Amino acid sequence: MPTSEEFDVLLLSLRVAAVGTVIGLPIGLLIAWALAKTSMPGKVLLDTLVSFPLVLPPVVTGYALLLLLGRNGPLGGLQEDLGVEILFTWFAAALAAGLVSLPLMVRSMEVAMAGVDPRLELAARTMGANRWKVFITVTVPLAYRGILAGAVLGFARGMGEFGATIIVAGNIPGHTQTLPLAIFTNLQIGDDDAAVRFIVFSLAVALAALLAHRWMLKRAVV
Amino acid sequence: MGEAFLNLQFRKSYDDFTLELDVSLSAGITAIFGPSGSGKSTTLNCIAGITKPDSGNLELWNRPLFLSGNLFRGINRPPEKRRVGYVFQDGLLFPHLRVRENILYGYKRTPKNRRHMRPNKLVEMLELEPLLYRMPNTLSGGERQRVALARAMAASPEVLLLDEPLASLDMPFRGRILRQLKAVHHDSGIPMIYVSHTISEVMVLAEQVLVLADGKQVALDTPQNFLHQTPVLPLVDPAHLETLLEGRVVAHHPESGTTEAEFGGFTLWLPTIDRDIRDPITVSVAASNVMLAAEAPVGLSARNVLKATVSALDRVGETVMVTADAGRSILAEVTPEAAASLGLQPGSEVYLVLKASSIVVLG
Repeated sequence: MPTSEEFDVLLLSLRVAAVGTVIGLPIGLLIAWALAKTSMPGKVLLDTLVSFPLVLPPVVTGYALLLLLGRNGPLGGLQEDLGVEILFTWFAAALAAGLVSLPLMVRSMEVAMAGVDPRLELAARTMGANRWKVFITVTVPLAYRGILAGAVLGFARGMGEFGATIIVAGNIPGHTQTLPLAIFTNLQIGDDDAAVRFIVFSLAVALAALLAHRWMLKRAVV
Repeated sequence: MGEAFLNLQFRKSYDDFTLELDVSLSAGITAIFGPSGSGKSTTLNCIAGITKPDSGNLELWNRPLFLSGNLFRGINRPPEKRRVGYVFQDGLLFPHLRVRENILYGYKRTPKNRRHMRPNKLVEMLELEPLLYRMPNTLSGGERQRVALARAMAASPEVLLLDEPLASLDMPFRGRILRQLKAVHHDSGIPMIYVSHTISEVMVLAEQVLVLADGKQVALDTPQNFLHQTPVLPLVDPAHLETLLEGRVVAHHPESGTTEAEFGGFTLWLPTIDRDIRDPITVSVAASNVMLAAEAPVGLSARNVLKATVSALDRVGETVMVTADAGRSILAEVTPEAAASLGLQPGSEVYLVLKASSIVVLG
């Protein structure tokens, strides 16, 4: 049976992935909307930029985040002013999870929003709704299943995050050691039984996420 | 016929098509008539702000909607600031909202001091009460279009655009919606622009008709006159010529399986319909089903014989389109040989013979 410390690792991983998803969701939504529904200049650039974490080694993405959040990075001064330090906390792991899963969320949401008949959005505008109101009252409600499916996919990806996490959050048991890090550590020290218990956790979460994803997309047709 | 309220003076080019208009429309119901691809929908889209003209200017009640100019001086108001209502061909109701929320969508987004349409009144006029809590995918085509009309009107637009709203409907629903459309117009006073390629709808609904062909205006005239103009005749498809007549039920005759209805000056016998006496009805008479006689026919089985005066004869394709005035204008289609042997000329007296079974009731 898993020990309570081992359950804590599961809970920490769930929290990291959930917070990462919650942070990534609104950002992903806006990017997906811009890609699916506007003809703004620089779309190709935005598309490329947001796709990077999908194709880069996560370690590289993690290093970029490390530079961003480091003491001398663009967000270092802000942290100092607020008296907080993000690096090597569970929150850094959540940011890493959110960043790495962002491209997956954006892809899924973009497809969902592109599937909303643009004439419905135009109809809404002739009734006095501006672009933002149309987004909130027409686009998102009609694409919500695809949006949720994207979030679930992002959450599952966040649960498995390893490379970027170890760079920005380290591998501190009880603080930043998530499931993949715990599996890696236990395999390294030869505690295969513990590793297998963590692997079972991972399998269970992944399976649940995939089933949820499938169910949402099956009902996504309006 | 009201004063000019909409100035359209613009140009829009596509690869193989250019729309160029310079016209002022009067408040009232204007029909835009023309074959597919003549620029009817593009015109509506330019007015609504969905399509941007290449150049020109558009003004609604002297308020600029679009004005081409250089980078800094041009105007192109977004659709939500134009106060232009739009009823689309297939209704385009929001599928995630109930009928009630659909109707209130635009109303809620209209500033209080500009709201002059009451949603309750619209629901009553368009007989939508029983549908209010239904989802759009459970509605019939006719119900959807009535909801779409209420939804667009509830936003208190300054002009309402209708893009072939009846095109996707079955025959029996068209009459009722046409009557309701007129009633809503008379009640609200909001000018309407109604795009159609059905001549009979245009004639029964509009106060002026703008005819487009290949991106150009070819006529702007009354619904009585536009049909007879030389550039319009080639656009007429004789196979689909019909006359719509609006009237009221007068009596039922169960022994002969007919219903008698009155159409302002004459009565017609129709196949029995399930309507109360005095109920309004609209019927369609196909031009090919109207027979002409030079003298009062005798010993005829047809119930309906109307005395009329020929007001116009127009050559349409291989046939002759006869416009006969029997109190209301009725279109008939005859061969050139028949027209000659009857000696038809404008002013000739004729008798129109209509079989009851050839009259289609549109509800």
